[in-house]
Formats: sequence, C-alpha cells, structure tokens
Amino acid sequence: MDKIDYLVDKAARMRKLVMEMCIRAGTGHVTSSFSCVELLVALYHGRVLRYDAHSPSWPRRDRFILSKGQASPILYAVLADCGFFPKSWLRSFCQAGGKFGVHLQHDVPGVEITTGSLGYGLGIGAGMALAARLNRELYLTYVLLGDGECHEGSVWEAAMFAGHHQLNNLVAIVDRNWLCATDFTENCMRLNPLHKKWASFGWDVVCINGHSFPEILSAFSGLDSRQRNRPLAVIANTVKGRGVDFMENQPLWHGIAPEKEEARHALCRLKKQQKNLI
Amino acid sequence: MKSQTMRDAFFDRLYELALSDRRIMVVAADMGAPSLDKFRRDLAQQFINIGIAEEAMVTVAVGLALSGKKVYTYAIMPFATLRCFEALKVNVSLMNVPVTIVGVGAGFSYDDSGPTHHATEDLSVMRVLPNFVIYNPSDSFLAARCADMSYNLSVPCYVRLDRKVLPTVRTKAFDIAAGYRIISSAKDGYLLATGNMVHQAVKIAGILSKKSIDVGVIDIFRIKPINEEILVDISSKVAWLATLEEHLLAGGFGSSVAEVLVDRRISTPLKRIGLAEKYYYEYGGRGYIRSVCHLTPEIVAMEIRKWLRD
Repeated sequence: MDKIDYLVDKAARMRKLVMEMCIRAGTGHVTSSFSCVELLVALYHGRVLRYDAHSPSWPRRDRFILSKGQASPILYAVLADCGFFPKSWLRSFCQAGGKFGVHLQHDVPGVEITTGSLGYGLGIGAGMALAARLNRELYLTYVLLGDGECHEGSVWEAAMFAGHHQLNNLVAIVDRNWLCATDFTENCMRLNPLHKKWASFGWDVVCINGHSFPEILSAFSGLDSRQRNRPLAVIANTVKGRGVDFMENQPLWHGIAPEKEEARHALCRLKKQQKNLI
Repeated sequence: MKSQTMRDAFFDRLYELALSDRRIMVVAADMGAPSLDKFRRDLAQQFINIGIAEEAMVTVAVGLALSGKKVYTYAIMPFATLRCFEALKVNVSLMNVPVTIVGVGAGFSYDDSGPTHHATEDLSVMRVLPNFVIYNPSDSFLAARCADMSYNLSVPCYVRLDRKVLPTVRTKAFDIAAGYRIISSAKDGYLLATGNMVHQAVKIAGILSKKSIDVGVIDIFRIKPINEEILVDISSKVAWLATLEEHLLAGGFGSSVAEVLVDRRISTPLKRIGLAEKYYYEYGGRGYIRSVCHLTPEIVAMEIRKWLRD
C-alpha cells in the first residue's frame, strides 16, 4: 500500500470510529469532525507532525492546537489510534465516568489546550511559536481553526500579532467547510475573500482541497527549512459532514449524532467506503 | 522611602527579577511606564507591546507560559479583566496556567476618565475564577512585594494597582505571607480595608476615636484566598466589624468577608461600606467623586456611628 492509499484507508477508519463514538454517546459534532478528517490524518499519519505518543510532553514535539474544539471526536480518535491513550477511552465518550466530552480537554494525553470556546487557539499558538523563537527551539506550531471561528475578532488580533512578528514557525489551517452552526458562513457574516484577508494580515496563504492528501501534504512540505519569513495560512476547502451523503453540507446536522435508522444508514455507508478501499 | 506609583514600584522590582530570570516576560496592551521603559531598553526580548488587543494579550501570554515563560500581562484594569474575562476563564483559570494579570487603576484611580476607566466591578468577577490568587496592595511597598509574591506562584494571579501615588502605610513588622497587616488594634471595632481605602480607614478611625469609639484598622491586601483565621480571631475580640472598599458592594471585598463570617457561624455585626450599584459620571478629582458616592472619611464615620446607634 502506498502512502496515499494508507492515508485514505486511515481516514475511512477514523470516520467510522468517530461515527461509532458519537452514535454510542448520542451526541458529538460528527459533521465538524468529518470536514477535517483528512487534515488530521495527514498531520498525524503523514509524517507532518513530530510527536512521541509515549511521551506526549516531549519538549521537541510540534505543537498541534485544535482550536475548533467541537471537532474533538476526530482528534480523540486519531490520538487513540496513534497510541496516546487506550482506544477503550473512546467508548466512554460523553459517558458518566468517561475521560472526555464534546469539547476538547487539555488534560487528555496529546491535547495541548482546552478549546470549545472559539477564537483562542491561534493566539495561544502564536505565543508558543514566539516562545520557540525566543528559546531557539525548532518545533513548529500548527493551529486548526474552523472557518466560522474566523468570525471571532480574537482570531484577527492573533493573526495580526503573528504577521507583525513574522512567526514563520506558525501554521494556521482553516477548515473552510463554509458552514457555522446554523447557516452558511457567507449568509450570516461574509468571510470571503478569506485568503486575501489572511494575506493582508501578513501571512503567506495557500488554498487547497482539504480532502486531498497530495494537496495537504504538499502544503505542509518544506516548513522545517523556514524558507518563508511569514506565518503560513492553509485554507483547506472542505465539505462539512464529508463521507455521509445525507449529512454533507447540511446546517441542521451541526453538533448532533444520527439516531436509529439514520445511524444505521450512516454506519452502513462508512463501512461500505472502507470495504471499497480494501 | 521615595514617593513612587505602585505601578513603578511593581515593575521596578519585576525588572530586577527579570534581569536574573530571563523567563520573565511582560505583555502589555499599549501601556507604558518609566519602569517599563527599562524593560523595552534593556530586556527587549522580554517585553511585548501587543497593542490594543486584550484577548490576544491573554492568549499569547498563555502560549508563552505553556512554553516555560513566566508571563505578566498589563493593561488598565477594566480592559485587563472585564474586556477579556472569558479568555481569562478558559485559558488561564480553567487550565490553571500561571500567568499574572496586572491591572492599573483600582477604583476611581482614573478620576478624570469616567466610568469606562473606573475599576469598580472587576474584583467581583475575578474572585470567582478558580485557581486565581488576588492581591490588592495599599502602597508602593506592598506593590513591590506583589511582584515577588506573584513570581513565586505556580497558579494564576491578579494584581490590582492604584494609579495614584499613595502614602506609605506605617506599620509594625508583619508576615507578608499572611495576606494582611494590622495597622492599629482596638477594643470596640475593626475597619477591614483594602487597597486605596486603607488610607481612608486610618482617617475614619481617627474621627471615630474623637467620638470615643476605639477602632482598629486592618489592611487586607490578599483578597483571595482571604485569611480566614484573622477574621475569626478579631471577630471574637470586638463588638463589630466594617469593611471598606472603593468598589461595588455586590460580590466585592466586603462580600468575601461576609461569606467567611456566615460560613463560620460568626454573628459579629458586619457593616459593608462601598459603592451602590450605579456608575459615576463625576469629575473634579477622586475626593470629589468619593464625596458624591459617600466614601469620604467624614461621611463614612457618620454612617458607622448611625449604624452603631441603630
């Protein structure tokens, strides 16, 4: 199996794992997770992030911040799959006595910060990136934001800060699925031209298909050499709910897990996708 | 001791610490001070002026702190706290990150600036945040010690500094770790004061003593955690207590004292003196504003006498 096939297979497995977690819990942000499955799989399984699952606080690790903390199910699934903690923890997602719930918790191995209140991850990531520069450390800091999250003013305060300080060890990834909780981003408060906004804040910007592993890996290649002198924004065009046709691009599927017949349909589709890959 | 603002006393001491501990960083929201000029000049890598962006001030500070820095944020008090309150909750309090929030302008310090710049609600909300230690010094000596105490903490801290040059409080030697200092002892009652109101309390005690009411003054400069033992101790020795703050009564310093007394089943009468729930568009100096909101020594002394009679 070549690298891309391996990643595609891994993404299919992760989608199924997330769906099972959320159906069991009867809650969880399935669609928000599904838009960034390929991004997280590429980061953790595509040799992009440096990490040691047996030593989550390894000082030389790259920092990954999931600022859109509602997509915690996919990060938890990926972290468990990488060995940061036992996969059995996923079964108690949102259950009494479980280790974690809907929004991301900093006390889970492999998780850098608590998120769930949107708009804070980029500022914290900028602080980490600045600290790396001051301490002459080589790690990179990646922050994954939702596009709806970019409505928050604090995102732009942090973007301005990072651009001003030319933090070329900082990468912002915008999961551009075009939806926030109740409506399309462009209906409630227009974000476009999003790439120009980031560029005007002093960032290099690349726009990619966020479900294409070759495009994702290409966007993240060569970052270690620090050839650029600006932070990098990767705007990843994605589909919210990607992988389950009746959930794709539907505002009403935000923040909920399918039940009963719909749950069976969703799982059936994901299993089929995995089988087709095999 | 030379007259110095609390701000300069605090940052002068922090500068000394920062010379030997390069982990110390100040992230300021477009605020300057003579004492901060030294940071800019000598310790350029330890000072960031982040501009007028308080949420970024907090989040960048947290990112630095999570990467091993000892970080101090600095802004005018309402903006250092209320403006970015939820950022403080989620990123500092909830994750228990040892960042020190330094606010300048306690109470009516910005007496020419109106209620946008008055800090009369911050204490009520900041003291509900878990993990935070809160200092409210009453003079420059204590402000400098707050730099040391916050430096030695491994939890979040909030330091409230007055903007004005306040006189140095004269007291006997005291244990700074106790979080209070007894300025004068008495047999009838105690005024428990904090921050700038400690100086008013001394004047109030003087007025009451002329009316044959023997009143002591205690400066409580660590508001959280408040030293419960001293409250229990003095409650058993006098007939009444009064708290004094240039802050809203709702949830403020007096409330924190009242909570201790209630929980400890202490029935010593307590009078809370502070601000009513309103804003003051008043100018003409702090003394004038205090006269409007009934916080001058003469008015407070009269109020206490009336309360004692009732």
